[in-house]
Amino acid sequence: MRFLVNLMLMLVVALAIGFGLSWYALDDGRLFGAAQIGPWTAWPRAGSPTPDPYTRAYLARSGMLQLGQGEGIQFVAATDSDGQPLNRACRYRIDGNTPTATFWTLVPTAADGSSIARPDGPPGFESGRIARASDGSVQLYISRSLAPLNWLEISGEGPFELVLTLYDSTMFTSANAGEASLPAINREAC
Amino acid sequence: MLRTGLYVLGGVLLGLAIHLVVILILPSFASNSVTARLRSLASLDKVSLIPPVPPGAPNPLRLDPELDYAVCRLDLRAGPGEVEGTLPLAFWSVGVYDMSGTAIYSTTNRDGIGQTLDLGIFDPGQTRLLAEQKIDVDAGLLIVEAKTDDVFVVVRLAPPQPAMKERYAAALSKLTCRNLKT
Repeated sequence: MRFLVNLMLMLVVALAIGFGLSWYALDDGRLFGAAQIGPWTAWPRAGSPTPDPYTRAYLARSGMLQLGQGEGIQFVAATDSDGQPLNRACRYRIDGNTPTATFWTLVPTAADGSSIARPDGPPGFESGRIARASDGSVQLYISRSLAPLNWLEISGEGPFELVLTLYDSTMFTSANAGEASLPAINREAC
Repeated sequence: MLRTGLYVLGGVLLGLAIHLVVILILPSFASNSVTARLRSLASLDKVSLIPPVPPGAPNPLRLDPELDYAVCRLDLRAGPGEVEGTLPLAFWSVGVYDMSGTAIYSTTNRDGIGQTLDLGIFDPGQTRLLAEQKIDVDAGLLIVEAKTDDVFVVVRLAPPQPAMKERYAAALSKLTCRNLKT
């Protein structure tokens, strides 16, 4: 009887660790190949010709058409800078500087990748079509209700993600290994 | 108690083994693989536009709604592949993917290619013939070596304004994708 109890215990521990760790590795990924800068997460080796096994598994799970390493890099944020999940009922201010890139886009999406921007409006922000401060920093607003400056109207209810894609960026290259500045996501009102 | 501890330790080690197996075999069993989706969108030796994703519709490939996309499939068994054409003066990039969905090569027009895209894709045998000058190619052809014979080429083009998206997509569709005669 004791043998069976121990055997069951071993199997429970094995399954919990085996599948739990796999889920964590592909969901959070910080310890397994993903890079996190504030609320933003990216998989720097996703566009590499030789991705590591965790990155390969992440790509297989997501089914996304990743950018090649020479094309750019994509960051995703599901929380604000305080760690609260992004919610369409709230207004968010995204401010700060973006890393060097030819251009970038910032698109709010649902978990399935669908755009949640107002259907008859722009799908997101594009770096060439926004107003900037004199120091080059950006201040963007994302909300269902009217907001000042650069405002993107979103629709619907529930959680969402922000996808920041930097095209032709030198981030994570050896020349810019120390560069790690991305805009903050501040929740203003709900 | 010691025996129970040994069983727990065994469970931890078995769990780590399960974890490694899950991570390693997941790409082989993924049902929503990028290559399956590209295969349904791409034609052999023909450039196809990837339809833009309407607002609110699922976007499994996670395409950027600001960009236009074109894809073509090449079988290098029939000869080296070539994708060429002229694109509008805007940001564009090109990525070559193998059948596992790995981006084996990518570049952008900011790397100095300007408006002209002329990309040649060679398998290892063809690369060797190229080095031995047994295959003639045009000067300026950007040469990429692919380890496998089946590849996808994806071209991304960024219109400066949303109103120009259709015109830019039309320019993208005029790219040619074919096997070179050797």
